Order: sequence, then C-alpha cells, then structure tokens
Amino acid sequence: MFLLKILGSLIVITSSSLIGFTYGSYYSKRLKNLMLLSNSIQLLETEVMFTATPIPEALENVYKKGNKRVSYIFLDIKKHLNKSFSTNDSFNSVIPTLKQDLNLNEEDIEIFLSLGKVLGKSDRQDQQKHFKTVITQLDRQQKDAEDSKNKNEKMCKSLGVLGGILITIILF
Amino acid sequence: MEKQMSNNFIRKRIENKSSTFNKVLNYLDPNISSILNRIPEDIKDRIEEIRIRSGKPLMICMEGSDFFINRVGKPEINSNNVYITTEENVAKSFQIISNYSVYAIEDELKNGFITIKGGHRVGVSGKVVYGKNGLETIKNISSLNVRIAREKIGVSNTIMQDIIKELNTIHHTLIVSPPQCGKTTLLRDIIRNLSNGMPNYNFRGIKVGLVDERSEIASLYNGQPQNNIGVRTDVLDGCKKYDGMILLIRSMSPHVIATDELGDEKDIKAIHEALKAGVKVIATAHGEGIEDIKTKPNLKEIIEEKIFERIFILDNSNGVGTIRHILDGKTFKPISRGERKNYVSIKNTRKLNSNNFF
Repeated sequence: MFLLKILGSLIVITSSSLIGFTYGSYYSKRLKNLMLLSNSIQLLETEVMFTATPIPEALENVYKKGNKRVSYIFLDIKKHLNKSFSTNDSFNSVIPTLKQDLNLNEEDIEIFLSLGKVLGKSDRQDQQKHFKTVITQLDRQQKDAEDSKNKNEKMCKSLGVLGGILITIILF
Repeated sequence: MEKQMSNNFIRKRIENKSSTFNKVLNYLDPNISSILNRIPEDIKDRIEEIRIRSGKPLMICMEGSDFFINRVGKPEINSNNVYITTEENVAKSFQIISNYSVYAIEDELKNGFITIKGGHRVGVSGKVVYGKNGLETIKNISSLNVRIAREKIGVSNTIMQDIIKELNTIHHTLIVSPPQCGKTTLLRDIIRNLSNGMPNYNFRGIKVGLVDERSEIASLYNGQPQNNIGVRTDVLDGCKKYDGMILLIRSMSPHVIATDELGDEKDIKAIHEALKAGVKVIATAHGEGIEDIKTKPNLKEIIEEKIFERIFILDNSNGVGTIRHILDGKTFKPISRGERKNYVSIKNTRKLNSNNFF
C-alpha cells in the first residue's frame, strides 16, 4: 500500500513538473524563434538590397539559407503568392503558423505582417528603411521575450515541480 | 507540298499570336484577365494596347481606335455597362508586372515603362517622385498601358536589296518616319536579316552591334533578347547612343552599328566616330520626309554631309509601315527600279509573305 502511494505521488510530481516545463519552454521557444525570424529577415534584406532579387526568388532563397525551423514560413509565403498575387495577403496567410507553431505573440506577428504590407513596393532605399524598422522592432521583442523568459520560465518550472509536491503532501 | 507547309506556317503564326495575348494576360490581375480572356480570338490577334486606368473603363486599342470592354469581354464603342477598373486591379497588376519587387526595376521605372517577358512593354503613370539625381521613381500607380509587342518577321525581306551592297557589305541607311509608322519594327527586321544573312542575295551575314537605348528593338528581359535580332547581333541595352557606339566599336568589332531615333548632337558625333572606324551605320529618325529632316538642327547637318547612302521614308498612307520613298542619299532622288511601288505594308505582312514566298 505504502509503495503504491509512493508510486502515485511520483506520477503526480512528474506530470505536474512536465506541465510546468512545457509552459516554461513556451518562453524560450518564442525567444529562439524570434531570433531566427530576425535572422531570416536579415537574409531577405540582403537579397533585396545587394542582389535586387525579385521577391518570389528572394523568399525561396531565404528558405534555403535560413534555419529551417523558422524559414519554412517564407516558402509558404512564396507558394501563397502564386495564388493570391498579393504580398500582403500572402504574409497574412501564415498567421496561424506564426501563432501556433512558432509561439509568437500578437505583437511579434503584427511587426512581421507590417513587412508584408511594404515589401517590394518601393525602391531600394525605402525598402532598407522598412527592413531596419522591422529588425529593430523584432530586436526589442527579443529583449522582451528574454525578460519574460527569465521571469517566467523558471517560475513555471518551479511551479510545476512544487505544485506536484504540494498535491502529494495534501493527498498523502 | 510546299503550299501545304506554307498554309500551316500561316496558321501556326496566328496561333502564336493569340497565345502572345494570352501570355500577356498572365501579368494582369486575374479579375481583369478573366474578362479580357473572353475577347474573341480574332480580335485578340489585333489588340495593340490594353489600357488599365484606376476608376475608369477597361479599354483596348487596336488599329488606330479604342474600345471599352464590358463584363463578358465584348468590345463596345459606348461606355455604358462596361467594366470599370478598380484601384485594386491596377495595384495587383502592377505587383505582378513588377514581380512584387519595385526595387528590382527601379531603373526601368525611371524611364516610365517596364519590359516584361516576351518583349511587351508596360507604361506606367502615377505620382512622380524627384530626388537628388532628378526623377527618382513613380509611385501610387494610377494607370498602366500594356503595349503588346508583335515582331513582324520578314517585313524587310523585300527591301534588303536596297540596303545590301556587293562584297558582303551594306549602305549607310537612315529610316525616316513619323511616330507609329513602324520604323522600329522595320529596323529590327533589317537587323535580323543583316545578322542572319540572306542566301537569296548571296549575303553571308555580318556582325551587328545594336545600341538599344529604349529597349525597344531587342527587348532584353533578364539579359535575353525577346525579339529575333539574328545570330550575329550584340546588344547594349539601355545605353546612351554615343556611349554605346563607342563601346561597341571598341569591344565588339561590329561591321554595322544599328540604333534608334537619332537626334542629339552627341548622336551625330557618335556617327562620325563610327565612320572613322569604318563601321556602317543604320539608324532611324523622327520626321515627315526629307525636307522635314533638313529643318531639324542636328539631323540637318548629317544629311547635308551626305553620310547616309540610302534614306527610307515611311508613312501610314497605306496602313502602318508604308514605305513612301527610298531615296539615294547623295542626290535625294528616289532610286529607280521599275517594279517597285509601295513596298511593304507591315500591316499586310501575312498577305505579303504569301505573295512572296508561296
């Protein structure tokens, strides 16, 4: 009987810790993905600024050169472009992916979408300004993500573990 | 057998032509192109321009007049119940035409038009932005003019005998014409013939250097000529005539230099450079006739120097591309050759081809 109790408490503790770790990892994933997204946008900037590659090709190149964990969204955008004929619509088409798969929050997504509204629609100088703005804004989001990661990740994890222990103690 | 083949050739040509129009439609907003696609095939062949103006009726231009297009793709003369182009139609079409990348066509946009695949040109108007170096870009695009390029291969065949000299060389030639009379079309085909050679005249083909300042002759797209300009032709695209001629003489050792629309002082200087280098020149100029040309400041000079040995005068008295006179550049008298009257009507190429070949 006693052994069974021990086993049960162990299960409770592990599962609640797991929940805590999963929630916690949301923060580090967001940070990581923001960083990769920012890198991909810098790749896109290079394509636009230095080689003046047209958008469809540039998007594909970003997909190829970037870290596939994030850069696959650029391929999705390119594919959508062939159907919608509008960069803005194509950027909007990846909102669910950004939210669910990449763990980005509303503000991050809004910043990314703002690029879709202007991408390719003006001359090089102007494009550079837009890229700069987006990258700076994403940097700020990264800092924010880092802060909330430091604050919350540990908390979530401890909360998970301690919560498990609490339940065990109460039920024991 | 030969007749059979020639008929097929003609039919093929027509098919090619309408698919030309359909290919252009790929560059327009699907909402518009689905309407334009319903235009009857025989009309599609003859369309020269598609006019897309924000908030105005969708129009096509053909054979000197224009038509409104209604919702089912029927050309109409009055503007009731026709399709009105929306702002979005224009914006989307422009996005597709520019391949979503205005920055990649900055330089072209400065000239006010974009060349798309197939050599078609899309004229653009909207808000012009000036910067430090003059005209910088055009934004807020409000109208597009899609000019469908149809090269007329073979139009110069019958006049090549007046350009070709014995010993595999040619006369210095000037083509004089008012706008929209087919001088560029004629020049392009002459270039093709010179470059490929003409076995009929025992002419082997010579190296041609083409200075295509306005990208109208070769219509380079991604560095590839979209028009047939022959196998021995080197193109400098978007290059000023003076710079281009000097460059070509220096680097490509052409036998002939071809260029469009002479008129500047520097152009004349460039022609002198070409003469110095022993290169033949073939060029076009705006003008109503030889007397008209003689009143124009820079052209006058070069005509009086009697550099050009052959001068073709075009007009549209018998349709676009009527050759009114072929003058001898020394005497300014029409060169006499009994059987010749009105040479080529570019418009009637098909008929002419069939007269000539079949």
